[in-house]
Amino acid sequence: MRGMLRLLCAFTALVTAGTASARIKLVALPLRERVEIQLENGRYTLVEEERIVPLLKSTAKSGNNQIDFSWSNTTIDKNSIQFRPIGILEGDKERPIRKIKGADGSTYDEIGVINVSYPPNENALVWEVFAHQGCAVRVRVSYLIRNLTRTFNYKAVANNAETHLLLRKYIQVRNYCGEDFGLTKVWFGYGGRLLYPMAVGQQEEIKMLLYRFEKVPIRKTYTYDWYAHGKLSKEKPFASRVLMHYVLKNDQANGLGVVPLEPGKVRIYIQDRRGGEAFLGEDWGALTPIGSEMKLNLGQSRDVVCRRMMEFKEVRVTRGDLRDVHCTIRYEIENFKDVPITLDIIEQMNRIAKQYTGKNPRGDAQWERLDRTSEEIRFSHEYGGHSPVLHVALPARPKGDAKVQKTIVRFQFVIRNIW
Amino acid sequence: MIRRALLATLILATLAPGLRAKNVDLVTLPKRHTVQLTIYNSEDITLVKETRYLTFKKGLNMLQFSWANTLIDPTSIELRALEHEKEIEVLATVFPGQKPQHLLWRVQSDYSGQAKVEVSYFISGLTWRMDYVSICDPNEDAMHFKGFVRVFNNTGEEFDNAEVRLIVGKINLVEKIADLARRYGRPVPRPGTKDYDQLRRKAARQSFDKAAEAMKGTVATAPKGIVKEGISEYFMFTVQGEETVPNGWSKRMRALNAEGVKFDIRHRVRAHQYGPRPVRFFIFTNDKEHKLGECPLPDGTVRVFRDNGRDGLTFLAEQKIAYVPIKAKAEINLGVDKLVVLVRRKVASKFYNFRFRRDNQGREWVIGWDEEQKWTDEVRNYRAKPVHVELRRQYPGDVEFSSELKTRVFDYRTIAADFTVAAGQRFEYPSQIVIHCGVNAKHNRVRVR
Repeated sequence: MRGMLRLLCAFTALVTAGTASARIKLVALPLRERVEIQLENGRYTLVEEERIVPLLKSTAKSGNNQIDFSWSNTTIDKNSIQFRPIGILEGDKERPIRKIKGADGSTYDEIGVINVSYPPNENALVWEVFAHQGCAVRVRVSYLIRNLTRTFNYKAVANNAETHLLLRKYIQVRNYCGEDFGLTKVWFGYGGRLLYPMAVGQQEEIKMLLYRFEKVPIRKTYTYDWYAHGKLSKEKPFASRVLMHYVLKNDQANGLGVVPLEPGKVRIYIQDRRGGEAFLGEDWGALTPIGSEMKLNLGQSRDVVCRRMMEFKEVRVTRGDLRDVHCTIRYEIENFKDVPITLDIIEQMNRIAKQYTGKNPRGDAQWERLDRTSEEIRFSHEYGGHSPVLHVALPARPKGDAKVQKTIVRFQFVIRNIW
Repeated sequence: MIRRALLATLILATLAPGLRAKNVDLVTLPKRHTVQLTIYNSEDITLVKETRYLTFKKGLNMLQFSWANTLIDPTSIELRALEHEKEIEVLATVFPGQKPQHLLWRVQSDYSGQAKVEVSYFISGLTWRMDYVSICDPNEDAMHFKGFVRVFNNTGEEFDNAEVRLIVGKINLVEKIADLARRYGRPVPRPGTKDYDQLRRKAARQSFDKAAEAMKGTVATAPKGIVKEGISEYFMFTVQGEETVPNGWSKRMRALNAEGVKFDIRHRVRAHQYGPRPVRFFIFTNDKEHKLGECPLPDGTVRVFRDNGRDGLTFLAEQKIAYVPIKAKAEINLGVDKLVVLVRRKVASKFYNFRFRRDNQGREWVIGWDEEQKWTDEVRNYRAKPVHVELRRQYPGDVEFSSELKTRVFDYRTIAADFTVAAGQRFEYPSQIVIHCGVNAKHNRVRVR
């Protein structure tokens, strides 16, 4: 059953004698002039609707205006409903609400809400509104509503060289709140920008393009993490998956930085050499505030093969049960791609300490790099000191008949003070 | 030849949106121009792209797209103009609640006239895979290596004229197409059920029918074959030409054909990986030197035969091979070789270097010792050719290893040695290990002396 929202404007005081359920009303039905749905907040959706409400002059005899707001089959948060007079219509023009000076010298608004009453057992409320004079007032009624939600999704199209992306950000509004917003113009407020979908019908979903970012620079990374991904197969016990990611930064220097990139599914395509697009995969994009990086998993690279072997390992007792673990890990890496790349190898020192001593380190593992570590390895610590990232530059697959040479590097280190 | 109802219809509504009736539509049905299917082998996903010519009027245009009885991902359906793209803009995509398996596009056009558009979406139900046939010569020096792509429609129906692209590579998907299809419109059966399989088959059949319909009346402009193209980390096989697959069959097309591919034979002794007996491997490189290297070799099953020299074949093995990049080595495991025998014997054993614990009454217990073992690995080659043996052996504990023959440490607990055994001969690989036991064990690693 379709939901209903009604704003009833009583010209005279409601007959309130007897029980609340016996309310008798003579009312006008002001129509919605405009609806704006605010979707900035991921949990709560704020609906703001504007209506022209005729008000009678408040007098001692007639009292104030009673404005009744009721709803059915919709999930409105009763406590969130607000009534705000915006302006007074005078002929074709509209003027703001003025301050009036009273006989006692105090000032008050010429239109003002005196109180709100909530009838029992009803989805309704009644505003008592003071009017200095009879007039038509533009009011804005705001309320929080459930089941009117939005999600974001993205379409990213990389150029063939994988240096830039065309990133489209879509908003998809789902209306399962029980109310049809299709009777009049509907506006969506988001990120300081208004969209115009015309209508949001009951049980309707609307997907609209929110932003289109041209030429967003991307960085393609190749990551090898033995402990996160495990061995590739029984036949290849020393190899593990090499995962590829596109990394893009949400700032103005990189063609973004307008709004935070909300969480959502990103479908990634690439331009092929015939002017078409090929699907590369999809990933959940995490919330990416301005200035932060979004990392999109593209799947597994099968042209970069890395084998990791613990070439040397000795547990040396320093005193009592206090031990150091001396290790040398050898990496044999082959790049079968026709472009040079950098492989990022993540080593988890806490996991190594646990694997080879059977004991968890106290806190994070205390480790030192030793001299036999290959000079070709560049180190960084973006995941913290306990998980160094080893960057190894790999040449492209040679042209012609030359064979692919294995790049062999070693990481020698000691994990100290395990007990 | 079977003609099926259309999988999806694209309707150009002629009424202005404000006047659009709820249940009565006046529509035109624009004909498909081309259909392209891109099938992925790592996931159950196929990208369908169809092009059509639509006539737009200036202002707002309403387009309706609908589908039925298929595993289509509604979130993936997209429309884009291929001509006048700057003048034709999709304002919104509306999924009406009252009409499941429908969507409406609100398209703003500053152009009046006919324009080519592309509709793309994902479906479930089509698969492909690769298989190989290798026939080596009687001397086992070179092989004839053939690769075939095989497209499965499993429809039980006939289809023709499919323009098909096949993607090699592992893509990342965060949701299954069938799950996405289930969320919209009518419920889709659970995977693994009979109804689900029927729906998949129907989707596949209808997709091929669409392709066939679109190709009807067209003439192939290139010879039949498979065009190979690298794209990002993936490789794309494009099947050209028109093909017909009889009822209930799958389509198998030759993608590779290399004659005289030289290969090496290796015998591997790795008890921890392949068991105690020597295993025979054919090893070749996917490069030009080996008459290959044009494209990576996708995962697939290889069936190995040998020409028996009497115009007949001998079956050697059936083995799955993993993806082989260009210039990488392909290894085909032929299984245990019964003509190469390994006998491992412990020749001698002795204990020394004892350590004791003594209690306050003077009684003693052994708490540490070294055990010295002498071993011989005898390899007997009953083949008519020399065999190259790659030996790897793992040792747990604190072990000192020595041998008269060249031996290296493969990793901290594994030794490795390579040697050749002449045809019809035997070869002995002697070794000696000292195992530090009890309190004598200081480490957990093997060291080659």
